[in-house]
Amino acid sequence: MRNQWNRLLAAPLLALVVLVALAGPASASGESVGACMAEHLEAHGELDSHLLHDEAVQDQLEKCFEAPSPILPELNEIIWGGGAFLILFVLMVKKGFPAVQGAMDARADRIRADLDEADQAKLDAQSVKAGYEARLADAKSEASRLIDEARADAERVRADLVARAEADAAGIRERAAVESDAAKAQAIADLRAEVASIALGAAERVVQSSLDAEVQGNLIDAYIDEVAGTDG
Amino acid sequence: MADAAVTGYAEALFAVASIEGDLSAVEDELFNFAQALRSNDELRSTLADGNVPAARRLQVVDDLLDGRASATTSVLVSMVVGAGRASELPSIVDAFIERSAASRNKAVATVRSAVDLTADQRDRLTAAIKVSTGKDVEIRVVEDPSVLGGVITEIGDDIIDGSVRRRLNQLRESFR
Repeated sequence: MRNQWNRLLAAPLLALVVLVALAGPASASGESVGACMAEHLEAHGELDSHLLHDEAVQDQLEKCFEAPSPILPELNEIIWGGGAFLILFVLMVKKGFPAVQGAMDARADRIRADLDEADQAKLDAQSVKAGYEARLADAKSEASRLIDEARADAERVRADLVARAEADAAGIRERAAVESDAAKAQAIADLRAEVASIALGAAERVVQSSLDAEVQGNLIDAYIDEVAGTDG
Repeated sequence: MADAAVTGYAEALFAVASIEGDLSAVEDELFNFAQALRSNDELRSTLADGNVPAARRLQVVDDLLDGRASATTSVLVSMVVGAGRASELPSIVDAFIERSAASRNKAVATVRSAVDLTADQRDRLTAAIKVSTGKDVEIRVVEDPSVLGGVITEIGDDIIDGSVRRRLNQLRESFR
C-alpha cells in the first residue's frame, strides 16, 4: 500500500523534472511574431532601413518566425502548472481520494449488503418454496387419503346395499314360498271342509229322515245301556 | 257377584217354594219356563230390557204363565223379572233345582234328547247313572232337536254324550 503511494507520488514529480529540464527560453515560445520583432528592433535603437539589412538583425528576426514547441510549454507555465498540479494532487490525495475511496467502500459495502440480502432473500424464497412444496405435498396426500376414504365408503355402502337387496330378495322369495304353501294348504283345507260339509249335510239329512220314533227309542235305550255299562 | 246373586235368588226361590209346600211342581214349572227363556231370544231380551217398564214386563210374565203355572211359580218369576234379573233367570232356576235336589240328597242330571223319554227310560237312565257315577240323580229332560238322536247327559261339570250330533261332529273332524 505504501509502495503504491510512493509510486503514485513519484510519477508526477518525475514528469515535472523532465518538463523543467527540456523547457526552452520563454522568448521562443508563447510570444507573437510582431511582438518578437518589435522587441529585437527596439533593442538595436532607432529603426531605419539599414538596420533591416544587417545580417545579425535578420537572423534574430528570422528566429521570431520560428514556431514555438508544440510539446514543451514555457517554463513559467510549467512552474505554475506544476505547482497547481501539486496542490491539486495533494488535495486529491488528502481529500478527494479518501472520499472516493470511502464512496467506493460504501458502494462495495452496499453492494455486498445487497448481495447478502439477495442471498438471504434467495434463502428465504427457497425456504418459502420448500414450505409451499411441503404443504402442497401434504395437500396432495390429504386429497389422496380423502379420495381413498370416499372410495372405501362408497364401496362399503355399495356392499351394504347389495347385501340388503339380496337379503330382501331372499326374504321376499321365502315369504312368497311360505305364502304360496299356506295358500295351497288353505285351498286344500277349504276344499276338504267343503267336501266334508257337503257329505255331512247329506249324511245329516239321511240320518234325520231315518230317525223315526222307533229308531230314537232304540238310540235312547242303547245310550242307557252304554251308560250302565261304563262302570265296567 | 253374579254367582252370589244367582245363589241368593235361588235360595229365596227355594225358601218360598218350600214354605208354599208345592216344591216339585214349582221346580217343573220353573224349569220349563227357564228352557223357554233359553230358546226364545226375543222373550229373553224383552224381559231383560231395562228400558221396558217393569209393569209391562210383569204383564208379559202374567200372560205367559196365566193358567199354565201355579200362583207360586208366577210370583217367583215375577219377583225375579221385577228385580231386573230376567237375564239371569235360567241360571237362578238351575241353581234352585240343584238346591232342591240337594235338600233331598240328590244331584240334578240334565238330559238332552231329540224326543222326550218315557217313564221307563227315565227310571232306567237314573239307575244307569247311579251305577255309572255312584250319584243319586233327578233327571230333567230337555227336548233339543239339534241332538238329532241319542242322549246328552250333564251332571254338574260331567257330560256323557251319546248323541248322533256328536258322531256327526266326529265324522266332520275326521275329514279335516
